Parts: sequence; C-alpha cells; structure tokens
Amino acid sequence: MKADNLTLKTLEPKNTSVSFKKTKTWAILAIALFFIILPRLGSQYVSYLILTFFGYAVALLGFNLLFGYTGLLSFGHALFLAMGAYTVAFFTSKFSIFPMEIILLVAIVVSAILAALIGAVCVQYIKIYFAMLTLAFGMLFYSFLIKFYYVTGGDEGMRVLRPYLLGYELSAIPKMQFLMGGYYYYALVVLTIATWVMWKIVSSPFGLCLMAIRDNPEKATYLGVDVKRYRWYAFIISGAYAAVGGVLLAPVIGQVDPTLTYWTHSGTLVFMTLLGGFTNFLGPMLGGLIYIFLQDKVMSLTTYWRFIFGAILAFLVIVAPGGVAGVISSLVKKGRRGI
Amino acid sequence: MILSASDLRKYYGEFCALDGVSFQINEGEFVSIIGPNGAGKTTLINVLTGLLTPNTGKVFYKDREITGIGPEKLSKLGVARSFQLVNIFPNFTVLEFLMVAIVSRLGKGTNFYSSLLRNQEVTGEALEVAKLFGLEEKKNVLAKNLPQGDKKLLDVASAFALQPEVILLDEPTSGVSTSEKNKIMEILVSASKEIGIKSIIQVEHDMDIVFSFSDRIIAMHQGKILADATPQEIEKNEEVVCTVLGQKECFKIFSTLLKR
Amino acid sequence: MVLTDIINILLSGVFYGSILFLVAAGLQVVFGVQKVFNLACGEFYALGAYTGVVFVKIAQGIGLPLLFSLLPLILAGLFLFFIGPIVERGLLRFVYGRDETFQLLLTFAVVLMFEDVIRFIWGTSPQSTPGVYLAYGQINLLGAIIPIYNLIVIVSSLVIAGLIGYMLVRTKFGRIIRATADNREMSEALGINMKSVYTKVFTLGTVLGTLGGALVIPATAAMTEMGVELIVMAFAVVVIGGLGSMKGAFFGALVVGILRAIAISTYPELELLLIYLIVIGVLVFRPEGLFGGSRA
Repeated sequence: MKADNLTLKTLEPKNTSVSFKKTKTWAILAIALFFIILPRLGSQYVSYLILTFFGYAVALLGFNLLFGYTGLLSFGHALFLAMGAYTVAFFTSKFSIFPMEIILLVAIVVSAILAALIGAVCVQYIKIYFAMLTLAFGMLFYSFLIKFYYVTGGDEGMRVLRPYLLGYELSAIPKMQFLMGGYYYYALVVLTIATWVMWKIVSSPFGLCLMAIRDNPEKATYLGVDVKRYRWYAFIISGAYAAVGGVLLAPVIGQVDPTLTYWTHSGTLVFMTLLGGFTNFLGPMLGGLIYIFLQDKVMSLTTYWRFIFGAILAFLVIVAPGGVAGVISSLVKKGRRGI
Repeated sequence: MILSASDLRKYYGEFCALDGVSFQINEGEFVSIIGPNGAGKTTLINVLTGLLTPNTGKVFYKDREITGIGPEKLSKLGVARSFQLVNIFPNFTVLEFLMVAIVSRLGKGTNFYSSLLRNQEVTGEALEVAKLFGLEEKKNVLAKNLPQGDKKLLDVASAFALQPEVILLDEPTSGVSTSEKNKIMEILVSASKEIGIKSIIQVEHDMDIVFSFSDRIIAMHQGKILADATPQEIEKNEEVVCTVLGQKECFKIFSTLLKR
Repeated sequence: MVLTDIINILLSGVFYGSILFLVAAGLQVVFGVQKVFNLACGEFYALGAYTGVVFVKIAQGIGLPLLFSLLPLILAGLFLFFIGPIVERGLLRFVYGRDETFQLLLTFAVVLMFEDVIRFIWGTSPQSTPGVYLAYGQINLLGAIIPIYNLIVIVSSLVIAGLIGYMLVRTKFGRIIRATADNREMSEALGINMKSVYTKVFTLGTVLGTLGGALVIPATAAMTEMGVELIVMAFAVVVIGGLGSMKGAFFGALVVGILRAIAISTYPELELLLIYLIVIGVLVFRPEGLFGGSRA
C-alpha cells in the first residue's frame, strides 16, 4: 500500500508552523460556515445532496481508518452502513421508537458488536483474502435481508419514518422543511463531532500504531505491536462509524433496502475514498462530495453513468491513485519548490 | 545468566540447520556469532527471538522459557532484535518511527484519545534516542529518503528504543560502507550504555569489527558451535580460523600472530 | 420418489456446477499466473450470454434447426476472445507491479464499464433463446426427467476441463503457465515473454467466462444483474476450491452447484445463505480451500 503523506505531519518545528496553522484554521472555519449557510443559499436539491453527503462522510471516515490508515481494503463495508440504516427503519416503523439519540446509540452498539464478531474472523487474513471475506460477509447480510422478508421487507425494504431530534417531534413540518431545517443541522453537528473524534483517534498513539501496521506489519510486530488485535480495534471503530453514517442517511432516503449492503455499494465507498484520496484525512470526504455531485450531474446527462465512473476509477487507479487530494498536494509541493 | 539456549535443534526436512546448540549469555557481555554462510547463524537468531520454534531444545530469558513465543511478546519481555535486511516503516519520519517503539514499550498503543504530538514523554524520548544515534538533524526526514547507512541505524535505533535488556543484531553493519562501520558500532555501544542494555548479541561477518568490540565470540559451522571463547583464544584456535574465517584469513591471522 | 428427487438435484447441480467451473477456471488461471482476482469475470459471463442469444437468433435466421444451437453458442463464447486483449493490454497491464488491492479495484472499474456496455447494446430487458432448451428433449433416468441439454453442457464442460488439463500438462504453453504461476521471477529470468503470456492467459480466462455465459443461456435468460450476481458464486467456488487451483475450480464448482440445487429444492431462502456460510467456514478453517496454495 503506497500511502505517502499519511503521517502525523504534526512534528513541524514550532516556529514555522504558526502561519500554516492559521491558514488551516481559517480554512476549516470557512468550510464550516459554508455548510452552515448552505440551506439558506442554494437550491433545496443541492442541500438534499449535501444531506446524503453527510451520511456518507461519516461512513467514509470510518472506512478510511481501515483502508488508508491500517491498510485493509474491505469490500463489505456497506454492511455496517446498511445496519445503521435498517436500525432507523426498524426503530421508527416497527418498534415506534423515534428518538434519534437512542437510535444512534443502538446502531453504534449493535454494529460494534457485529463488527467485533466479523472482524475477529476477518483480521486473521490480509489483502485479497481480507477483501474477499468482507465481501462474503456483506453478501451474507444481503441474503439475510432478502430471505427474512417477513421481518425485513425483503427486497422491497422498509420505510423510514421521521425520528425525533433532541426529543422534538417534528412530523408536523413538511418533509423538505424538516430535512433542510432541523435535520440538516443535526446531521452537520453529528458529522462535526464524528470528524473531531476520528481526528483524535488518528493523531493518537493508537493511530500511529495503525499506520505502522500498514507500512510494515512485520516490523510492527518486532516492536511489540499486537498487529491482529489493533486491526480488530480499527475494524470495530470503522464499523461503528459506517453505522452512524447509515443512520444519518436513512431518514434522507426514506426507504431502506438490501441493495444498501450489496457488494457494489461497498465498491462505491471504496471509489469515493480513492477519488478524494486515501492518503489524506479529509480526502475520502472530499471524494464522497465529488462523487455525489458528479453522479447527479452525469446521471442527468446519460443513463450510462456507470461506464463513465468506471473509466474514472480506472484512471484513478492507473494514473492518480492518490486521488484529488494527492494531486493537490503534489501541486502544492511543486509550487513550494518553485517549479 | 540473561539468555541461554539449551540443545537447540532445527531441521528443515532433511537439512539440519541447528545441531545441538547450547550456550549461555551473561549480563554485560558483547557476544559475536560468526561463521560461514549456511552455518545456522540466522536460524539461531530466529529461534532465539522466538520467530522459529526449534524441533527440540529450549531458550531461556533469565529464568523464563521463551521458546517460540513470538517476536511481539518477546519485545515486551525485554529482548529486541534488528534485521540484516533493513526493515523500516518507509512513510514515517525518523521521529515517528522511534515513537512507535516507545509507544509500544509504554503500553500506550490502545490510547486512542490523546494527541500524540502533545505527549512530551513520547516525543521527548524519541528525540533523545535520535540524538544518541546521531539522527537528530534528520528527525523529520521520511525513513525511505534516508541514506542506506542511516536507514540501518534507524532500524537498530527503534529496537534500542524498546529499552530491552538483551538485543540481538543481525549483521548490523551489512550494507554499510567500510568507513562507516566503525562509526556505527561505536554509536551502538555508547547507545547501549545510555539506554541500559545489558547484553548485545550480534551476527557479524566483518572480523575487524568482531575482534574490536566483542567480549566473546561464538563460532558456528554447519549448525554446531565450534568454539565459544574470548577473541584472543579464538584467534589462536586453528579450527575456527581455518573453517570460519577461510584460508586467506588463516594466513592473515597467522602472520599477525607471527608479527606479535 | 426420493431417488428421482436426488437425481434431479444432482443433475441440475452438476449442470450449474459445469457452468460455474468454466467461469471459475477462467478466474483461477488468471489468478494463478497474474495474481489478479478478476472481479470482471462475471461481466464476461454476461457478455457471453447476451452474445449467445444474438448468435442463436442469427443461426435461426439462416435456417439452422434449433437442435444445432449449441454451435452458435460455442461460437459466441469463442468469438468474444478479443475482449481479453482489449482489457488486458488496455487497462490491466498498467497495474501489474502494484499492490493487489489496486489491481482488484481496477477490475472493479472494468465491472462498472462493462455493466453499461451491456446496457448500451442490449438495454435492460431480459434476452433469451426460447425453444432451444426444449428442442434437445429429455430422457427418463430412473424415473427422473433429465433435460438432454443439461447433459450436453456437462459433457462439454468435462471435455473443456480435459482439454485444459491436457494443455497444462502436455503443451509448452501449459508448462509456461504452471512455471509462471509457481515462480514469476524465475520464469522471466528464463526468457519467457511475460507480456505475451499475460495477454494469452487473460484471454483464455476471458473465453472460459464467455463460454460459460453462452452455454447457460438456453436454460435461463440474459439479465442485467447476472454479471454482478455471478461473481458472488464464482468467488464462492474459488474460495472453496482454493485460489489458483484448477482442480479446486472443478471440485469447488461441483460443491457449490450441488449445494445450490439442494437449497433451491428444499429451502430456496437458504440458497445464498448456505453457500456463504460455507465460504466463511472454509475461509476460517481452511483458507487454502481444498486444493489451494498459500494463505493471505
């Protein structure tokens, strides 16, 4: 796994980093501000797309912990996203439990347990075998969802009813207003918290160990790092994140169905990560954003959007595996060197 | 007694790599293991560090049996090892590389909530180790961009950063230019004193290095120990000199002895 | 009663297994030599199916009796060989030196592209060859009614398996394949032209996939998702049989085909479930599969 630049980058000599830190802080504030005022500015449709982005963004944060930071490619990650989404569906339409906070909590706990079980099996293997095992589990879940249709609605799926946000029951408000209003900011807050937590994780000693495992698992073992156990932890965390992403996504799409866990949906997560750049913390989220808007645009132009996306993916893999973030960072490097 | 091997035998099918190897290493000793290629030196190191399980025989660390427990557990107990072929984290800076060892040693690997760079304990210590090995200037250079000699040093430094009591070095100066070899060995010896490493065991081919630094030499041939003695005694040991060091060395050593 | 059921299950299982074997053999030979797990083999299978329909329709148009439809089907599978070099030279060769995960992702890109190529050419409605299956008639075996077409496919598959086996053991190309699968550097050092070997092997893998798709058509219909669904089965075969092993493809295909037939006739809901539980079981307890080489 060639993952240049995915180090802490934090040990810069203290005197030169001040201006850079200032720029970074302003950039983050600017982005945050942009997202905050967006519903007021843009069209409803754009805000709707951004809402789906929020869900994927959280899932992608988790996915990249496994892929970019630990070096494990999971082709079954959509399983956990689907788990989160189905949790919302079950709780709102079957159990009539609506508080979003409870749903989030349950989704996290259940997915963490599931990830612990599945992960315990999967982390015994690496590379292709790991990818294949995760694909298998993802499809296993798919078959569960289809076959137990009397519980899960089979391939028609289940409806997602409107959850309560912070205890407020908002079903009186028309759907779009709900989504663009309270729900938008709720999801944004969840995303912000999730991003902050993930940043802490990757900047921690644990994060360092994961990257060591990615770069050279043998050497990591010789330095006393329990490679399998740490991979397992990463798997659990990323599964929980995917579930949270799924929870955020479900009320937006309004309906959950088994295709959420089909292996090609996992492939989409991988695509988004690669597109944005897996060597950068924010890369995958950028990739998700680009993917969602690009797909929307391309779909409106032709039904053969898959071909175009396939070509884009091929291009990425062959020419620019670092994704958009990779390209930007190499341009910046060139700029700094004055080339 | 800090590390001991008792009657180690290792077979690869029909081929016998270790044929009844036993010895004892004590605190404070610098031991070199020498021998021609195929003598079983690397197999011995692999068995000693728990990477390979011998067919028969045991390895003891102090009074604890450590046969085949694996490198990860071993490093936690206080035995570390470096590699003949440089084994690094290519995308880590020198400092980050060392921090892995320190984080692992301090048991902070599962700490996933506190910021690493603000952790003075870890970063401070990494800097100290870097200083010991003369890598302080290059602390932010990516490991893959270091010159070969420095990569080797870094690899060894990370093993040292585990603060082991015993360290096994597999050809620490291989791949390094002759002019640098002495410098590296001096660094290793002084770093060991600073860190408090009690014993060093190395596999080495360069006889100048071996004779300059070792307290004791173990000579191996075809899986057996030919001799286990001080450098002075080894020099006079005809069998060792001719088998291990080769005919040319036979001649060189004899003529050196004659000059004395 | 029970005997006829067993015979039916066995035969339909072996029939599906024969098709799976072809696709899996294509997967294995490519993995063995190039160490690439070709996710797009399902798409080749689908292409073979759709093209098979076209060829059969053309054959019927020029007056070929339905009974001889096997011929245009086989021709369709063989005709598509050119896809192999296009994908291999056009895309795959750029990632040979790279990490396996990137190679896998590239084959995923090929899946996406071919999905739409198929949609573009044939649209989304299923295509089939009505009447061909029945034209071959049936025989009565111990009370069970067996479609003769199934038997023909089983036999064809066995013949192809035999041909592959012969090729691997007796021909120069086969020896090259085995040598390269065993030790790539050595083979290169011995002067074997890797580029051409890779292209040929990938083409072989492609044709096996397209043949599988073409041969299955009379028994089913060519549908949009058939490619991505098949990879799921092919993957199960390859895991159970062992990655890279031809024998593994053979026995793995048998196992999966028969299991599937059992599931369909008893508890259809369990079809994928059962197969995947076994896949996971194999990966856990014997990751090399029945005949595979090294793990991970």
